[in-house]
Amino acid sequence: MNNLIRVPTPLRPYTDGLKEIEVMGTTVRAAIEDLTHQFPGLKSHLYDPDGNLRPYVNVFINEDDVRDLKGQETPVSNGDRLMILPSIAGGGVSSELRPVDHSALRTNQAAIIGLLIGSFIGDAALIVGLTGLIMLVGTLLGVPGFKSFYRILNRYRLLKPNLIYDNPQPHRFAQGVGGMVLALSSLAFLGGLTTLAWVLAWLVIALAGLNLFAGYCVGCGLYYGLNRLGLRGFDRSPPPGTFPGRRPTAQSG
Amino acid sequence: MTLSILESLLEQVRNHGENYYPEEGVGVFLGVVTGEVRSVVQILPLSNTFEAEARRSRYLIDPKDMLTAENEAERRSLEVIGIFHSHPDHPARPSAYDLSWALPWYSYLITSVLGGAASENRAWRLAEDRSKFLEEKVQITQDIPQEVK
Repeated sequence: MNNLIRVPTPLRPYTDGLKEIEVMGTTVRAAIEDLTHQFPGLKSHLYDPDGNLRPYVNVFINEDDVRDLKGQETPVSNGDRLMILPSIAGGGVSSELRPVDHSALRTNQAAIIGLLIGSFIGDAALIVGLTGLIMLVGTLLGVPGFKSFYRILNRYRLLKPNLIYDNPQPHRFAQGVGGMVLALSSLAFLGGLTTLAWVLAWLVIALAGLNLFAGYCVGCGLYYGLNRLGLRGFDRSPPPGTFPGRRPTAQSG
Repeated sequence: MTLSILESLLEQVRNHGENYYPEEGVGVFLGVVTGEVRSVVQILPLSNTFEAEARRSRYLIDPKDMLTAENEAERRSLEVIGIFHSHPDHPARPSAYDLSWALPWYSYLITSVLGGAASENRAWRLAEDRSKFLEEKVQITQDIPQEVK
């Protein structure tokens, strides 16, 4: 028995442009097999490598989805209209990447560098301690420590947001590590170990500078290294295609 | 490969994505094909029928909605030439899930919606061997195609 089966637009290039094809078969399965026998190019788009109909392939007989009847064993009678209708589906990446404002991060790094160099020039150990405190508070709150300063720059249009799909957690960790190093520096100042204290402060300047000017975040690289070791709490992997610690390139607008 | 779309229609696509945020918005394009250029003449915003709890990163168009779209296209002597959907807080690049569900021939326009605001638009077409997507150029126009006038 012959029936007509209607093929959706995307599959018509594989049926020589035909919208409806005459097929033989007493079941839906037999009808579709006849269709792919006539047009072998259709097969890979209708069936997966295991021979199952692809998930987006829906077959309607008259107005009914065959899944509501007997599936591919649904009988086909003379005069029945068969139709292949696609389920259209898809979706975004299910990763946890989110837009991170790298202008805010750069402002943070610049403020840290500026304050620490200023404290060195002015021999103001207190500024080192305050900078570290701001960084640690920022880490606890999950924001760049100098975010308020960035907001001012943003409000007066001196700096525009630079949103990049990234993980915020490694940056938070890096700020925390920097804050801890400055806390150690402050303790060194209190203990009279001035040289050690400034070495630690300059270490933070160097790491912040590497991040600001070269786009490499050492603290983030450390975070991702701990992630690779499977350490609990370090559960984010680097953005796809990004070397661990390097600034990602996927703009978000 | 070029997807040509009226500026006003693209704005509707972007608004649809913003209105659906933080879920994925979806719809289809009706239009005409001239060589390697697909020209969008009409858009049909549709409902995302994926399970509610997953709609932030998944979309599904009911096949009966596709039937409606096909019938509308036939009524207007157009074709269903592509699908548009949004990626809330994600780039306008197809995912592995997009790839597994993609149909050949269709143009897939993805709008990145960042924090509720539409950002970049990029269009893609499934490679013949289904291994990847090939990017299409998006051409924004001010006038409908001559073939449709």
